Amino acid sequence: MTQVIDKPVGQQETRPMTMAAALTDAMDVALTRDPKVIMYGEDVGRLGGVYRITTGLQAKHGEARVFDSPLSEAAIMGTAIGAAAVGMRPVVEFQFGGFMMPAFDHIFSHVSRYRYRSRGRWKTPLVVRFPVGGGLGLLEQHADSPEAYLMHTPGIKIIYPSNPYDAKGLLLAAIESDDPVFCFETIKLYRDPKLRQDVPTGYYTVPLGKARIAREGTDVTIIAYGGMVQPAEAAAEAAAQANVSCEVIDLRSIVPLDIDTIINSVQKTGRAIVVHEAVRTGGVGAEIAALIQEKAFYSLEAPIERVTSFDTMPSPFNALNHFSRPEAHHIAEAIKKVLSA
Amino acid sequence: MSESSDIFAGSTLQTADLKPFQILAPDGRPVREELIPDLEIVEELYRRMARARYLDDKFMVLYKSQRLGNYAQFGGQEASQVASAFVLKAKDYVCPMYRNTAAMITHGWPIEKAILYWRGHPDGWRIPDDLNIMPIIISIPGQIVHAAGVALGIQAQNLGAVALSYIGEGGTSQGDFHAGVNFAAARKAPAVFIIENNGWAISVPRKVQSGVDYLMRRAEGYGIPGYLVDGNDALAVYTTAKKAVEDARVGNGPSIIEQLTYRVRPHTTGDDPKAYRTEDETNEWIANRDPIKRLKLFLEYEKRWNDDREVAMQAEIETEFTAALEAADHAPAPDPMALLDYTMIEPTWQLEEQRATLQARVAAEGGAA
Ligand SMILES: Cc1ncc(C[n+]2csc(CCOP(=O)(O)OP(=O)(O)O)c2C)c(N)n1
Ligand SMILES: [Mg+2]
Repeated sequence: MTQVIDKPVGQQETRPMTMAAALTDAMDVALTRDPKVIMYGEDVGRLGGVYRITTGLQAKHGEARVFDSPLSEAAIMGTAIGAAAVGMRPVVEFQFGGFMMPAFDHIFSHVSRYRYRSRGRWKTPLVVRFPVGGGLGLLEQHADSPEAYLMHTPGIKIIYPSNPYDAKGLLLAAIESDDPVFCFETIKLYRDPKLRQDVPTGYYTVPLGKARIAREGTDVTIIAYGGMVQPAEAAAEAAAQANVSCEVIDLRSIVPLDIDTIINSVQKTGRAIVVHEAVRTGGVGAEIAALIQEKAFYSLEAPIERVTSFDTMPSPFNALNHFSRPEAHHIAEAIKKVLSA
Repeated sequence: MSESSDIFAGSTLQTADLKPFQILAPDGRPVREELIPDLEIVEELYRRMARARYLDDKFMVLYKSQRLGNYAQFGGQEASQVASAFVLKAKDYVCPMYRNTAAMITHGWPIEKAILYWRGHPDGWRIPDDLNIMPIIISIPGQIVHAAGVALGIQAQNLGAVALSYIGEGGTSQGDFHAGVNFAAARKAPAVFIIENNGWAISVPRKVQSGVDYLMRRAEGYGIPGYLVDGNDALAVYTTAKKAVEDARVGNGPSIIEQLTYRVRPHTTGDDPKAYRTEDETNEWIANRDPIKRLKLFLEYEKRWNDDREVAMQAEIETEFTAALEAADHAPAPDPMALLDYTMIEPTWQLEEQRATLQARVAAEGGAA
């Protein structure tokens, strides 16, 4: 990165931002700080992306650095690898997480192994961003949560912000990371007015691999990320009415995973619930449950619960979405279950 | 010619000037009188296109009153879709993408089902079993590769049918467009690939997709015919599709047809084109190149059409649509079990367990209500 002297966060100016605005701001800061940062994807230029997350960036930083690509996720991903290898820092966008799969060969076979394959000669410092998650009644493949495919792919990092401050800081850290990073952006959170908060306008980072304790508690640990942090907090709040104290952990990044925060919490509470919107089988919840039993088995008072979507495609049947996508009351049931074990 | 290009004489790409095939000029006057199909057919095409336009208009209204989900309009592309699907026989297959509602209703998809589909109702997702229409594909350009496979299956079983698939000009940038067309071409499978070049891929103009002037030139690279057609001229679309479909049917292999048209409406009901293109550009197409107006003018010159017939036709269209909407409105509320049904023919125990969870959730909600 070009050397810029930044003010420490405490002294920075702030501005109220939604998560969408915070992500845009992060990219604006990155483009300003580092001439090697370029951005491309479908509709990201003039339109600013279908969710307008790259709004204004082309106008400000020029078409050479922020541009529309041909419609090909494979090309977007594969070219980002090549460009990153020879010195650029591409920040590319897929229009939706559900449209990542045409690029999967470049993810699974290439970006995850490029450095390994070349025995360290080439690194690929790139970021891939995309909107994920449902609950909005959109069309098929506009509500997917494909993080497990990536977690199961060695060699890449995954960030999954749940609020504006984290989104900006994590994305800036991701752009600086020399490993490739995938940024999952929950559509439902983009412009959630409840999340609007004061965010520093300048440069700062939130380190990858450091979870956030969203709520402290002593009886049950609820582990969530992205769009599931809010229902987890709501379930914890409801439980508090019944004098059950839940700790809510917001993972912030899935790779690296902040195992210490998880284990410390479970050692304290003895009960764990993992929540994700993605399908259940082979999901992130399965990995976390395995890790907890490896590292805190003797602290457990109850089997670990998973609250997830069903093992089928995300519901395109709008009137039925709420039966599948995890909601606070589904988490409440899991809380009852781990307490009654 | 310079010396350096001389040495490649005859061995480099010859870029002949291409002009889109046209039978009717935009003012409805024939430019190829000898190619006008039977006027009964022209009239039927006109009716079907007017019916499709009515549906597209109504769907926008339904969306605005929240009686339809987000919907991909085809308005302005009626000639491109209706006049091509019109040449198919019932045994032929359509492999559609999200913008192909017009092609699908032309191949027999009931309007009631189309409404339910775009409402996100499971009953709309099952296309009636007597129709050879494959599922609507949203992930670009899956349907092209599936169509190559459908054609392969037709060929292997000697069904005498053809697979017709559509793709936007943006979608041709996907690697799988090449993979599917190339496979079908290599096997001489009975498929027809229509590129609906409507100028835009959401906010991205055609020129961003490729350095080539016309995408149908790719056909040469597959060793198959490529056609460039005025996609707002229903008669040119009809004539070209007929030739390509019948060629495929008799074993001559696939073709690519590029139909030049324009997406006069937003990308979907959720999009606002003012963010990326001028209204002048769009208005020019609406005013001067509307495919339905063109056909109507022609029929009027031929004395095949008048105001009375127009009024009667519009009334018929409205009656049909109103009945379909009423039927869709009376469809039973979706069964929550639809969430898990059809995931697997032999469900895993996990799915059975999840079915029990779903049943419990439904019962709990019923109790609360
Ligand atoms: C694999 C994939 N990536 C991205 C998208 C999002 N998307 C939906 S429509 C569209 C533009 C398509 O343009 P074009 O192929 O020209 O078809 P048109 O919509 O104009 O009919 C994009 C990028 C998608 N549906 N599938
Ligand atoms: Mg298009």
